[in-house]
Amino acid sequence: MNSIIERKEIREKLEEIKEADILVGIPSYNNARTIGHVVRAVQAGFAKYFPDRKCVLVNSDGGSTDGTMDVVQKATIDDFQSILLHHRVRPTLKITTPYHGIPGKGSAFRTIFEIASALNVKACAVVDSDLRSITPEWIELLIKPVIEGGFDYVAPLYHRHKFDGTITNSIIYPLTRALYGKRIRQPIGGDFGFSGKLAKFYLEKDVWETDVARYGIDIWMTTTAIANNFKVCQSFLGAKIHDPKDPGTDLSAMLYQVVGSAFDLMETYSDVWKKVKGSEPVNTYGFQYAVGVEPVNVNVDRMLDRFRLGVKELLGIWKEFLDREIIGFLRKAGEFPKEEFHIPDDVWAEIIYSFAIAAHKKLINKEHLLKSLTPLYIGRTASFVLETWESDAEEVEEKIENLCIIFENKKDFLINKWEV
Amino acid sequence: MRNIFERLISEPIEGFLNRFILFLPNLISAILLLIIGLFLGWLTKKIISKMLRILKVDEFSERHGINNILTKGGIKDKPSSLAGRITGWLVFFIFLIISLSSLNVPAIERLLERFFLYLPNLFVAVIIILIGYLLSNFFGRAALIASVNAGLKASGLIGRFVKLTIFLLAATMALEQLGIGRETIIIAFAIVFGGIVLALSIAFGLGGRDIAKDYLEKKLKGEEKDEIEHL
Repeated sequence: MNSIIERKEIREKLEEIKEADILVGIPSYNNARTIGHVVRAVQAGFAKYFPDRKCVLVNSDGGSTDGTMDVVQKATIDDFQSILLHHRVRPTLKITTPYHGIPGKGSAFRTIFEIASALNVKACAVVDSDLRSITPEWIELLIKPVIEGGFDYVAPLYHRHKFDGTITNSIIYPLTRALYGKRIRQPIGGDFGFSGKLAKFYLEKDVWETDVARYGIDIWMTTTAIANNFKVCQSFLGAKIHDPKDPGTDLSAMLYQVVGSAFDLMETYSDVWKKVKGSEPVNTYGFQYAVGVEPVNVNVDRMLDRFRLGVKELLGIWKEFLDREIIGFLRKAGEFPKEEFHIPDDVWAEIIYSFAIAAHKKLINKEHLLKSLTPLYIGRTASFVLETWESDAEEVEEKIENLCIIFENKKDFLINKWEV
Repeated sequence: MRNIFERLISEPIEGFLNRFILFLPNLISAILLLIIGLFLGWLTKKIISKMLRILKVDEFSERHGINNILTKGGIKDKPSSLAGRITGWLVFFIFLIISLSSLNVPAIERLLERFFLYLPNLFVAVIIILIGYLLSNFFGRAALIASVNAGLKASGLIGRFVKLTIFLLAATMALEQLGIGRETIIIAFAIVFGGIVLALSIAFGLGGRDIAKDYLEKKLKGEEKDEIEHL
């Protein structure tokens, strides 16, 4: 089956709904424990902020066995009076369906895009099904910039612990910002708002049999929106608290997926990013306030051990694509005591760019290349933790800003080596 | 007396000369074929190398890490000149075979026949070794990176062990293909490999009892989060 809307029950449901203004999609897989809260928050968001609009909630499920889809069907807000004072309450239209295609978040999103396109919606949003901190306001903040502000893409902006989201802080944000010139702080946040027009554009792209369907959909959506000149902004959503990750999730596998997707997009949009100089801020919506964030435990000694082991064993692989000066630095850094350990921003930017170039030139197998980045990434994170141990959120943000500027300044290094 | 001289000396010489005269055209054609082979081999080498250079095969190999594999294997030549040289030698070799068979000497013909029957085995063995070498490098590196990322101190050893095991397996297969000590090689490999696995099992069993216990306890009880997993 090529499209979800060819399925009889979905077709009937769509014919019954005909058209809608707003659609919120929730991809899920065995999230029965948390999805009820997310569905109720979305319903409350519809009732509170869009009482006059026709709203649809779509749950795109990956074949859960814990009754996730039943929870979605049954989840309702018993007492709207406790959250709404004088709004008219319409029943929320719900579609729950297993998605089709390759198993993964990307395929779940594709189903949401297909239903959005069939219903000709004006604005959509997608939110994770394991969120514990979602409130009805998230729906307003992700949808209103599209409906009232004319934006096509709304990225999330969260407050996170200074040691949380380090792949975003040390690689994805600086890289995306330097490449495409937009200061989207959370390019892989996971919760997004977008216009019906952009949903149709996504759907037309021939990526649904690739890794985008499995993972990497977040960075793909953000990059596709920016690189194709859609109007982008971000909304402050507060704190992002979700179910703890599966402890079996391997860090190197995650790094491979996220960074690999970003590198693949560099190939697709090389003509776009080569022309971009510097970066510009994007409109930010939502009232920013200090939020309590979950503490994150870090063990710097263990991180340094991993880095040193990497330097001892993988230097031979890195030599194939890193400059001699960087190799010399890493060799020395492997012997630094904890107190002196530091990986400077310019060295880090050059390492990431060199990995991107090596991936582009296919110097070694892509999976080997990206997985060999893990010890370097852990080393860089250890350096960042040591550097910001005493810093408050503002100082940490300043340090990330400095790193981004260095990524932007060193972009010529990337461009020059990309073609040679 | 004269009869004896004729029978003992003159007739054999005459016979030899007759056979030599009969053989001479074959010899001349064999030498000619060898010279032509040498020339054509040299020409093919030049043409193939030049053609591959024009097609930018060296750059392609550089990008795909083939040059690196060759360098690691001790080959300093560029792929274009290496391919040219191999093709050149192949052409010369073909002409050498033709020239030898043009001699029409039964002993050489039998030797050639046996060689030709053996040739496919040699070809398959070379292919096996080549694939084995590439696979051993690939999996050795994958094992090295995976064990470094798992924080194993013996990562280097693990990487080298995987690489060597795969290459040994390929070498065993190649030797078996060539029919050299077939049973001995298989038994030797099975003993060595089985011995290593047994040694590792015993080592892990005895040395890692506590680690295994801790690990299982953590898994079953759902112990505290790994401090760097959140990254």
